[in-house]
Formats: sequence, structure tokens, C-alpha cells
Amino acid sequence: MIWLTWRQHRLQLLYGAVVLVILTVFLLSTGFGISAAFRSSGLAQCLSVPGRDCGAANDLFMGGGARYSGLWFTIPLFLIVPAMVGVFWGAPLVAREVEQGTHRLAWTQGVGRIRWAGTKVAALAAAALVGTASLAWILSWWSRPFVAASDNRFSPGVFDLRGIVPIAYALFALATGVAAGTLIRRTVPAMAATLGFYAAVRLGVELWLRPHLASPSTVSYPFFGTNPRSGLGDWVLSTKTLDGAGHLLGNGKVLDLNVLGSRCPGLPLPTESLPNKDALQACIRQLGLHVQSTYQPGSRYWTFQGIESAIFIALAVALVGLSLWWIRNRIA
Amino acid sequence: MTSALIATGVGKRYRRLWALRDCNIDIPDGRVVALVGPNGAGKTTLLHLAAGLLSPTVGTMRVLGRTPGRDVGLLADIGFVAQDVPLYRSFSVGDMLEFGRRTNSRWDHDLASTRIERARIDLDQRVGSLSGGQRAQVGLTLALAKRPRLLLLDEPLASLDPLARREFLQSLMGEVAEGELTVVLSSHLITDLERVCDHLIVLSASRTQVAGDIDGLLASHRIVVGPRREGAEVRGVGSVVQESHTDRQSTLLVRTDGPILDPAWAEQEIGLEELVLAYLGHPDATALPQPKLATAEAEVSP
Amino acid sequence: MIEFRLSPRSGVATYLQLVHQVRHAVRLGILHPGDQLPTVKEVVGSLAINPNTVLKAYRELERDGLVEGRPGVGTFVRDSVHGPPPGNHAALRRSLERWLRNAFEAGLDAEDARALFETSLQNSREEGVA
Repeated sequence: MIWLTWRQHRLQLLYGAVVLVILTVFLLSTGFGISAAFRSSGLAQCLSVPGRDCGAANDLFMGGGARYSGLWFTIPLFLIVPAMVGVFWGAPLVAREVEQGTHRLAWTQGVGRIRWAGTKVAALAAAALVGTASLAWILSWWSRPFVAASDNRFSPGVFDLRGIVPIAYALFALATGVAAGTLIRRTVPAMAATLGFYAAVRLGVELWLRPHLASPSTVSYPFFGTNPRSGLGDWVLSTKTLDGAGHLLGNGKVLDLNVLGSRCPGLPLPTESLPNKDALQACIRQLGLHVQSTYQPGSRYWTFQGIESAIFIALAVALVGLSLWWIRNRIA
Repeated sequence: MTSALIATGVGKRYRRLWALRDCNIDIPDGRVVALVGPNGAGKTTLLHLAAGLLSPTVGTMRVLGRTPGRDVGLLADIGFVAQDVPLYRSFSVGDMLEFGRRTNSRWDHDLASTRIERARIDLDQRVGSLSGGQRAQVGLTLALAKRPRLLLLDEPLASLDPLARREFLQSLMGEVAEGELTVVLSSHLITDLERVCDHLIVLSASRTQVAGDIDGLLASHRIVVGPRREGAEVRGVGSVVQESHTDRQSTLLVRTDGPILDPAWAEQEIGLEELVLAYLGHPDATALPQPKLATAEAEVSP
Repeated sequence: MIEFRLSPRSGVATYLQLVHQVRHAVRLGILHPGDQLPTVKEVVGSLAINPNTVLKAYRELERDGLVEGRPGVGTFVRDSVHGPPPGNHAALRRSLERWLRNAFEAGLDAEDARALFETSLQNSREEGVA
């Protein structure tokens, strides 16, 4: 059966391997340069000391005109790799057989259709696992300087490409493809459905579920102070400016002079002139103005990777189960 | 004698359309069965039910004493060649044999290679470039090398030229002569199958119309010619399948239930094709064995 | 060894055609006592007919005492074949030819002669049975 999987899907596996090699060559050929620039810009050294302002070094590494800053934008391209596994490996697995009638040959052999489908899915899943794991591993290395510079491992397009989640995405995409092919029974519509369903679930998890995987922590600090958690790789979900009584004065770390003017009578209205700096500081102190951040601590990174992987693997298992049930009971 | 295939009240419905209904069949072991009927009569559905590709909507299906579909082990004993002989087009013939070897625990590789060699097919040739006759031979080889006890062939001759038909039937009958093998061949033409089959099932409009050993069917059917009959019974005539009248004479195709002794009636033997066509032309007429035995067996079995 | 042929339009049952051909071959001396008939597999492989048809023909020949089946070996023409000795055969043929000449002189054509022969054959068979 492994032989059959290889014989039937060797072209797809070959194309997958070619894509993997091309991406690896690209990542290796640029990765060393990125690491070197990260060091030579002084950013690497600057970031190793917590609390230091690394703006200048950051500009040197990531700012406009920096040699490798453009490569940062190639990152989202890698997001489609798991989806391709579903579209090109998963969707045709059953659909093409049914389209060509060969399922009537395959499913009347001694192994039976459940073992036939199970072995093929398992073999392709193993290939997808190896492929995406190696890609994720190289990408993690390649993107480390960018991630350090932006101090964010959680945001879309970064979290999704590193660690273990890409493997789970690929398995989920494969299972989606198999299920779509099984239910729709035609290859091309199944490919389109796979892409649509995969993108919808990924976006849903990314935008609505991921921030709530654990209840966020909160930190408050004076308006003119610095965030005590900077440099810890936190995922900041929201930042608010509040007064001493806890009333919201603005989203983000902002000063609304209209609001301040109405609360501190001594402060001139902004239409007349810029307020006097001392008066402004006095007003801020009087109101007890402070900043409050809700965030997921950077230490939860691997917890989040684990939870999200588990979600997608559970979905993949459910979809494979559905496909096998459908193959057994609904198709002939 | 045991039965290779028993269908008891089997029906298969797709949404609101019945593809097969009230199917009662009992095929004894070792027969070569012609499954005949017009296109759309349910032949393919019946074969798919027997091969376990479909499950019946109603009724029970027993193949070699087991339930197809639910019993995966049964697949080892069934050789099935679907209509149009589906094969993997990108595979070489050798790959197809390897496919058979890898997907069956019982696989006679010698038989397979000998058959391919005898059919003068190159193992390196791509399946996609085979002729219809060669495809049919490769499909049959895959089914036979499993060493099945029941061979199901759906319209195996439909796409073959006369020479390929002959070669296909020669090699098929050679295998039947070798050992204990029950074969069911479907076709919409009986002429192809007349000499190779010894059991006949006629399906028409998704029902079984005729079922029985061909010798028995031919022995019990006669064309009788006599004086114009006005509804009077003729002794020995069980049922009239087809009748035509002139003002003096009646010509009847009848199923007999005893010797026709009335000297006014001259009887004539009938060929298989004539018999099948007569039944297909008169869908209300049936020639079925009493289904008692099959029913009793099905009730006893779990 | 003989090779069977089937005539597609004869209307005679396939197994009977085989029976006739063996009888004919034995009568004409093509098959001798001890000769083996083609195996079922050989017949089936060349004529594309049901093996049971061949078995049925061979059983019929066995019942006639013309051949005997040896399990696991094959079917053989029996040593003591019943039938008219060849000399008698030739004499009968001569008298039939004489009869035919008389018939043609009396104005019968081949068709009439055959019909007459068939009818007589039928009658004498029925008398034999009765």
C-alpha cells in the first residue's frame, strides 16, 4: 500500500520536494546575510541588554534602504505552503479515483477501502509532516533577526510560520483536501473548496480565537514611565490610556487635549495655543493618567503553539474520520 | 449444492429512483451466469451490490455465505471488473500487476504474468495506450490472479471487437475449466454469452424477470402452433409469454409445466436469444424459481 | 487427437455438436481405441464455450460406451467400440447409393430424397422405441 501511494502520488511528492528545495535554497542564501546584518547593525548586541532603546540600530537593520528589510515581506508567501498540501495532495486523493472510476478497482481489492484510504492518507500525512517541519525549522532560523527586531512572535504571518503550528496546518489542510474530495467527488471543485475552507478556518482561528487561548494579563504604568514588560516578547492585545478613576481617555498611549482641557480648568484650549508643558504635566498628574496594556506574556509562546497545533490536529483527525466514514458508507 | 450468491428481496434506491427492486436471485456455485437486460435495468447495480461497492436499501445480499460491504475479508474471494475496465492510465502493465500484488494478500503472480505473456502484452507498456481488448485482458488478469471464488464482470465484451471478444472468452473459459469458479457476466446482448453461460438472469425495468439454469429454461419453453385459441387452456402450458394470432392459427411462446399431448398443437424448440427477447418484450411475464429456499436461508442466517 | 468445430447456424445444441463430431471421427477411423480426446480446458480454450458443455458431451459419450474417463488423466476412446464393422458399412453405403439412383430416376430431386429419408428415419426410430 505504501508502494501504491508512492506510485500514484510520486509526481505530487516530487513537485512538493522541488518547492521545498527552492524555498530552502532561497532561505539559506539570504539567511546568513540577514544574520550578519543583524549583528553588524548593532541590533543584536543592543537587544541583548533589556530596556535599552535600540531605535537607531533597528533603523539600520529594518529601516528603508536597509539591504534585507524587503525580505521581511516575503514571509507571508510561505503561508500558502500548507494550503498547497491540501489542494494538490489531499483533494485529488479520492476525487480523482472517483472521477476516473478507478475507485471501483481499488476498493474491490483484498485490502478493502478503509485500509486503502487510511494508508494513503497516513503516508501523505507523514510526507507533509517531514516537509513542513523542515521548512518551519529553516524559517524559524531565517526569521529570528526580524522577529527579534520587531519584538513580536505572535502576530499573523510570524506565529504561523515558526515552531510546530505549520505542521498542524499542513495536516489540517491535507485532511480538508481529502474530505472535500470525498464529499464533492470532483477534483477541481474539491481543490477550490479546500482552499476556501482552509483559509476561512485559519483566519477565524487567527483573528478571533488565538487572542483568547489564555486569559490575558494586564499591566499598568504611569503615562510618562516606560512599560516594565518591554523586551519580553509579549503579545500586546490592547493599550488604553486611563485616568485615576479608571475612565477611558483614549485607545493607545494618547493624549486628547480636548478631554484634558475640559478636565483641568487651568489648561488652555488647544485651539488657542499649545498648552504650557508644566501645566500639562500637572494636569496629567492630577488626573492620575496612566497606561494599561492587556497582553499575552511572551512566556506563553510555546503554550500557544501547542494549543493551536492541538486544535488543528484535532480538526484534521475529525475530517479524516468523516472522510473514512463517507468512503465506507456513501460512495460506490 | 451451495449458493455463490443469494439476493433476498434486494432493492437499491438512489434518492427517489429505484435502480433495482424485488431482486430474488440464487446462483448455485460453479455456474457461469449471464446477467442480461436492457441498459438501465439494474445489472450494474446488482453487480456493485455483490462486490460490496453498494449496500442494499432493502433486503439482504449474501455472497459466498457472507455479507458484502460489511465483511472486508470477502473481497479476497471476489474478482470484480467494473464497466469500461477502470485501470490507472499512467501505470505500466507491470505496475498494474504490482498493484494487484500489493493490495491482495492472496495473489498468484505466476498466473498473472503468464496470462499477460499469453495475451502478448508488453509489461512496460502504459495502460493508457492499450487497446480495448488488451485492457480487458489486463482487467481480467487482475481479477483472476486474486484466485477468487466469484468473478463479477460488468459488460466485459461491450468495447471489444469480435476477435478480442473471442480471445477474452477463450481465456475466461480456460480459467473456469481450471477450478471452482462462479462467474457472473453482464451484457445487454445474449448472443455473446449464449455458449459460455449455463445460467441466466434477465433483469428488466429494475426487476428480475427470468432466473434459472439455461438447460432447464430451454427445456421448459416451447413455441406451439395450433388452431386459433380463444382463451381456452392448453394442457401442458404453464404460462404464455408471447402470443400472436391469425384468423385461423395461434402461435404461442409458452412455459410448459408438462408434456403437451394435444395433437392439435405442434411444438417447436426455442433458442436462448428468442427466449430472452420474448421476455424482455413482455415485462409482465416472469420465469422465476420459487424463492422459498432463499428466504428460509436468509431468515436463519444472522 | 481431433479438433472440434462449432457451426454457428446449425441450431443443434453445442454439446450435441461435440458428441456428433466424436462419433463421426470414431466411425471414420480418425479416432482409434485408446486415443485421448482433447481435455476440457483445451476445448474450452479454443472454442470459448462453457466447460460444463464439454463435460456434458463427454458424459453422454461415456454413457454410450464410446469413451471412458480416467480421473486425473483424461477421456479416452474405448477399446471395444460398438458399431458396424467397416465391411458392412461399405455394403450399406452401396445400397443407399443404389436407392438414391432409383429415387432420382423416379423424378425426385435432392430435397425430396432428403425429406423421404428423414421421414423414414423418424418412423423406424419410433417403431424401435415402441
